[in-house]
Amino acid sequence: MTDAPVLLVEGLQKRFGGLQALGGVDLAVQPREIRAIIGPNGAGKSTFFNTLTGLLQPDAGRVLFEGRDITGRPPHILTRLGIARTFQITSIFPDLTVLQNVQVALAGYRGETWRMWRPAARSGVERSNSMLELVGLAQQGGRPAGTLAHGDQKRLELAIALAGEPRLLLLDEPTAGMTAQERLEAINLVHRVAVELGLTVVFTEHDMAVVFAVATRICVLHQGRLLADGTPEEVRADRQVQEVYLGDSLEADGAEP
Amino acid sequence: MTRLLLAALACALLVAPFVLSSFWVHIAVKVLAFALYASSFNLLLGYGGMLSFGHAAYFAMGGYACALLIARADAPILLALAAAPLLSAALAGAIGYFCVRRSGIYFAMLTFAFQMLLYTIALKAIGLTNGDDGVTGVRPSGLLSDAVDYYYFTLAIVATALVLLYRLVNSPFGFTLRALRNNPRRVEYVGVPVRLHQWVTFVVAGGFAGLAGGLYALSIGSVFPNWLNWTESATPVVMAVLGGLHTFAGPIVGAAVYVVLETVISGQTEYWHIFMGAIILFLILVLPEGLTGTPRLRRRMLALIGR
Amino acid sequence: MIDLVSAFFVEHFGWMQYPVVVARQLLAAVSYGMMLFLIASGLTLIFGVTRILNFAHGGMFMIGAYLAVTAGMLLPGSVPGFMLILLAGLVGLMLLGTVVEVGLLRRIYHAPHEFQLLLTFALVFVIGDAVKLIWGRQDYSLQTPDFLQGATRALGLTFPTYRLFLIGFGLAVAVGLWYLLNRTRWGTFVRAATMDRDMLSALGVNTGRLFTGVFALGAGLAGLGGALAAPIFAVGPGLHIQVIIEAFVVVVIGGMGSIGGALAGALLVGLVNAFGVLAFPDLALVMTFALMAIVLVVRPRGLFGKPE
Repeated sequence: MTDAPVLLVEGLQKRFGGLQALGGVDLAVQPREIRAIIGPNGAGKSTFFNTLTGLLQPDAGRVLFEGRDITGRPPHILTRLGIARTFQITSIFPDLTVLQNVQVALAGYRGETWRMWRPAARSGVERSNSMLELVGLAQQGGRPAGTLAHGDQKRLELAIALAGEPRLLLLDEPTAGMTAQERLEAINLVHRVAVELGLTVVFTEHDMAVVFAVATRICVLHQGRLLADGTPEEVRADRQVQEVYLGDSLEADGAEP
Repeated sequence: MTRLLLAALACALLVAPFVLSSFWVHIAVKVLAFALYASSFNLLLGYGGMLSFGHAAYFAMGGYACALLIARADAPILLALAAAPLLSAALAGAIGYFCVRRSGIYFAMLTFAFQMLLYTIALKAIGLTNGDDGVTGVRPSGLLSDAVDYYYFTLAIVATALVLLYRLVNSPFGFTLRALRNNPRRVEYVGVPVRLHQWVTFVVAGGFAGLAGGLYALSIGSVFPNWLNWTESATPVVMAVLGGLHTFAGPIVGAAVYVVLETVISGQTEYWHIFMGAIILFLILVLPEGLTGTPRLRRRMLALIGR
Repeated sequence: MIDLVSAFFVEHFGWMQYPVVVARQLLAAVSYGMMLFLIASGLTLIFGVTRILNFAHGGMFMIGAYLAVTAGMLLPGSVPGFMLILLAGLVGLMLLGTVVEVGLLRRIYHAPHEFQLLLTFALVFVIGDAVKLIWGRQDYSLQTPDFLQGATRALGLTFPTYRLFLIGFGLAVAVGLWYLLNRTRWGTFVRAATMDRDMLSALGVNTGRLFTGVFALGAGLAGLGGALAAPIFAVGPGLHIQVIIEAFVVVVIGGMGSIGGALAGALLVGLVNAFGVLAFPDLALVMTFALMAIVLVVRPRGLFGKPE
C-alpha cells in the first residue's frame, strides 16, 4: 500500500535560548500506524509534541497533515482538521459531569459552541454516550468528572479526544501515573479503539513494556534528533539505541515511572 | 420545588409595591438593577473563571450613556435605555480585546486599569460629564415617572434579561464557558477558539451590566464618576461571593442581601463601611460558598481549620 | 499655523524657560517619588512573595501618618524626637502587619484570587472607618521637625530642606532594601519566593515565618512612608484612597514583584505628575492610568522587568 502519510514532519527545529531542543526532526507516519516516540528525559519528546500540536512555534521545518501544511497553526484549527490530542497531566473538566465533558467536546468539534439559546443538556447525548461506552465509562455519565479515579479520568480524556472523529490521535504519555497493570489495560484500550475506528496514533511513552505491546513502529529521540526510526525489532536491535538508552530501560523493563 | 419557589418569588415581586413604602419600592428597584449587575458579573467569574476587577466600568458606562443621552440629546427614555447596553457592550468589546490576552491576576489588573482610566476621564472631561458633579435630573417623565410604574418596568426588563442569561449559561455556549473555567487548554483542543469565546463573554457581560447601570441611573435620576472609583470594583465581586459563585441564583440573592444590608445599616450609622468590611471578612473566612452554598459550609470550615 | 504651534508651546511648555520652576518641580517630583517608593516597595514585596495585591496597603500608609501625628503631639521636634516619630510609624505598622498576616491573610493564600482581593478590600473598609472612629474627621498635620525646617541653598537655588531630606532618606531605604534582599540569607529566600515558589520548599525554608516577615516589613515600609509624609500631607480620612492607586500604578509600571522597578516606577510617576500638571493640568491623571493600561497590555511584567 502506498498511501500518502497521514503525518509528515520535515526538518522540524525548535530552540530555547541557547538550547537546541529539536535539531531537525524528519518523520512520516502512515495511515493506521501506531507510532511510539521514545527517548530519555530531555530528549525533546514534549517539545516535539507541543510543536506538532501548535502549542509552540517551530523555528524551522514543516508539518503536513494529510498533505496539508499545518505548521504552527493554532490548536483549535488543528482539532477541526481532524487531529486530537491528550496530555501527560490528565486534562478534563472536573466540575462538569462525565457526560457533559464529552458533550462540550462534541459541541467544540462541531462548531456548536456559539449556540446561546438551546439547552446544552440535550445536545449530542446519543453520540456522547456511545463515546463513553467505547471507553467503558457508560455507567459513570452522571458523576462529576473530578470524582473519577485517575485511570477513569484518562479514559474520559480519551473519549473527549475521540468525540470529534479524529483521524490522527496524539497521546502524550497516555499511561503516566498508573500502575504497571493499569498501563497495559490503558494502552490496550487505545489499541482496540484505534483498530476499531481505523485511527492513526502517535504516542510518547516511558514504559517499554507498553511501547512494545502495541507500537507498529518506533522512533527514538535523543538530544533533539532522531536516533532511530523503524519496526520494534529493528529498534530493539539497533546498536546506537542500545548504547544511549534502550539497553538500560529494557533491563529495567519499564520499572521507571 | 424550584418551580414552586419561583412562582412564590414572582408573586412576591408583583405584590411588593402594594406592601412596601415608597422608600422601599425605590430600594427594590435598586435590588433588581444590582441583581442583573451581579448576574452579569457572575457570567464572567462564576461561569467563565475570569476575575474582572473593572466590571463597574460597564455598569457606569450604561448609567452615563443613559443619563447623557437624556440630559444632552433629549432622547426618549426607551431609546436611552436601549443604547445603554449597546454602548457598554461596545466599550467592553474594545477593552476586552486587550484583556482576554491576559489571565489570572494580570487580567484582573488590566480590567482594573481601564476602569481607573475611565474614572479619570469621567472626572476630567467636564464638558461632557460635568466632572465631579455628575449628571443629575434625569428621572423618567410621563408614563414611568411614577415610582411604582418604574418598578414594574424594571422588573419586566430585569426578569427578561435574567431569563436570557439563564438560557445562555445552560446553552452549549455556557457549558463551554464552564469548561473554560476548568481547563482552557483542553477547550482549545476540542476545537474552540478560546480567546474569541472569552471576548464574546466579556462583551455580553458588559452589555448586561450596562443595562443594569442604565436602569439604576434612571431610578435615582443621576450618575457620578464615583461609580467608577476603585472602591466600586469590589461591589459586584462582593455581591456574587455573598450569594455564592457558580450558581445562577447565588449572585441574585447576594445582590438583594447586599442592597438591603447597605440600606438598613447606613440608615443607622455613618460607619456602614466598617460593617461591610466585617461582613466580607466573615464571608471569606466562614462562608466561602456564599449564602446559597451552606450545605457545603461545614466541610469548608473543617478545611480552613485544617489548613 | 506657526503661530498656533508656538502659542501651544507657550501655553503648555512656557514654564520650561524658567530654570527655577523646572528645578523646583524636579525636586518635588523626586521627593514625591521617594515617598511613593516607600509605599510601592512594600506593596511589590508583598505581591512578589504572597501573590496578593494588597489594596489595604494605602490604609497602612495612612495609619502610619496618623501614628506619626499622635507621636508628634507627645514628642519634641528634635532629632531624637523625630527619629522616634518615624519609628512609631515603622514599628506600629510592622506589628499591625504581623497581626493581619497571622490572623487573616495566612488563611487565604490558597484561596481563589477573588477571595484574596475581597479580603484586602474588607481591610480597606475597616481601616477607612476605624481611623475616623479613632482620630475623628478632621485633617491633621505633623509639624516639620525643627532641624528640617526652612530652606537650603544649593546650585544657586533654594530648596525646602524637608524635601531634600526625603530624597536622601528614600535613597537610604532603597540601599538598605537592596542590601537586605541581595546580601542576606533572608533576602535570598525572599527572592527565591518571588521567582519560584517550589524552590522555596526545596530549600527547606519555614514559609510561614517568611511570609509573616515579608508582610510585616512591607507594612512597616508603608507606615514609615506615612510618617514621613505627615509633615507635607494633610492627614485625614480618605488619604489612603489616592495613595494606594498611585502605588499600584508604580508597581505595575515597575513590574509586580521588583524593588528596583518600584524605584524607577516611583520616580517616573513622580515626574509625570509634577511636569504633567504644568504642561497639561487636566490630563496628568488620565496619562498616569493610560500609562498603567499600556504597560499591562504591552509588557505585563513591567517596563523594567523582563519581557514576557
